[in-house]
Amino acid sequence: MKVVIDREKCFMSGECYYNHPELFKMGEEGYPEILIEDVTDEEHLRHAREAIEVCPAVAISLTE
Amino acid sequence: MAEAAAPSDERGGRDLDPRVFDSPEFQRDPFPIYKALRDHHPVYHDRFHNRWILSRYWDVDGAFQDNESFDRAMYKPDGPYKFGTNHVFGPNILEYGNSDEHRRLRNIVAGQFVGQKLNDFLPMIDQISHEVIDRFIDDGEVEIVSQFSSQVPIRVISNMLGLPREDENTFVGWYQDLIAGLGFGGEYFARGLKARNDMWDYIDPMIEERSKNPGEDLLSRICVAELNGSRMTPEEIKGFVALLLAAGGDTTDKAIANMWYHLMYTRPDQYPDVRDNPNLWENVFTEMMRYDPVVHAQFRFTTREVQIHDKVIPERAGVILYLGAGNRDERAFNDPDTFDIHREDLHMRRENRSGRYKDGKNGHLGFGIGQHFCMGYAMARQESAIACRMLAERVKNIRPKFTEHDGVTAPNIDSGGFRAPSELWLEFDR
Repeated sequence: MKVVIDREKCFMSGECYYNHPELFKMGEEGYPEILIEDVTDEEHLRHAREAIEVCPAVAISLTE
Repeated sequence: MAEAAAPSDERGGRDLDPRVFDSPEFQRDPFPIYKALRDHHPVYHDRFHNRWILSRYWDVDGAFQDNESFDRAMYKPDGPYKFGTNHVFGPNILEYGNSDEHRRLRNIVAGQFVGQKLNDFLPMIDQISHEVIDRFIDDGEVEIVSQFSSQVPIRVISNMLGLPREDENTFVGWYQDLIAGLGFGGEYFARGLKARNDMWDYIDPMIEERSKNPGEDLLSRICVAELNGSRMTPEEIKGFVALLLAAGGDTTDKAIANMWYHLMYTRPDQYPDVRDNPNLWENVFTEMMRYDPVVHAQFRFTTREVQIHDKVIPERAGVILYLGAGNRDERAFNDPDTFDIHREDLHMRRENRSGRYKDGKNGHLGFGIGQHFCMGYAMARQESAIACRMLAERVKNIRPKFTEHDGVTAPNIDSGGFRAPSELWLEFDR
């Protein structure tokens, strides 16, 4: 699975990288950077799903 | 520049006597000292209090962002210190550092203070504001701190927790003692502990009841939340409640008083703008949080040696992040010592935890940044704006009762003492 950020929607709240530093870090200008290209590990998938849930911009999704 | 300052040091900057941080002058007006720190001592080693001080906007921001080098916790989670034993709230989230545990605890309640959950509570904030205003509206005058600002937020948070409305006056008393117990030792700490114990006796049966039959309220949510597969202990639940009552009440209380102070005394010329366009109350809130926020200092401990500019801060050093100083940094804001609700170089809308905005403007540092960013930020903003707007709408010709005012002050700023006017008398017509 791949984590995708919609940069149009993202308003850089920071919720993903502060709550889930296992998967995200703050990148240039405040947009999130994804640390793991292909997410397979169950623990990482849990972080991805929780990040999707807490994102106030609804800018994160998981794709095949 | 402070009177206490000596002529100069070998680097050409002014020397700074660290005893100035304990002076009443600094509590009343810290801004000249902040400027001296930013200009001449951006990484100041205060040998007298055994701590380091950062004061420039981007240095404070950088430390807030750098969890690898700066931790909030005084103690290690796996060390001999038993969390909660030396804190007036009991065990609570403020004692945890950058740990997973902190993140999990925070997430139990953080979602309750933003978005739709918050929107659902806005009508209740309206109602409580009106009830509080009703009590003094016929008097033609009000002492904002005791009659208004300290009344609204505590009633809102106790409502969110689902505590009985008829007991609100009792909570107000407890919370005032809890807050005093935070910043001071001695009798204040003792009174804070007594308030805590009284509150715990009161709340024990409620915790038992709501753990069995949870409702929609915040207390129920905390009671049934699971961490690593198990619920929190009653002690941990009560620590959480004490924190929410105090942090959710006192900070917003002081924000409201500060907003009125600045519109009545600092920029009375801008009050008509706000009266005629109530949406500007959010600008008043934002500019207050920059110009002279409720909280000026956050404390961190280094987890390793940190180099900033030409200085090295050693490992396990205490570091003060003066966000009140960063907010007045000429490197981040034009004409920083002017209070202006129409300021164009400040991000005026809702804050981001990252401190970064799509409009490219700098935000205020008043809620902190990053891992420990205020989780009640959205609620504090809404609640302050609503309460202020309600009062403004129900009065005419509101004005200071006295021409002179002592201004905004802090009883003890270094221990997290919150800044606000101690009294604020206003007169109005109906």
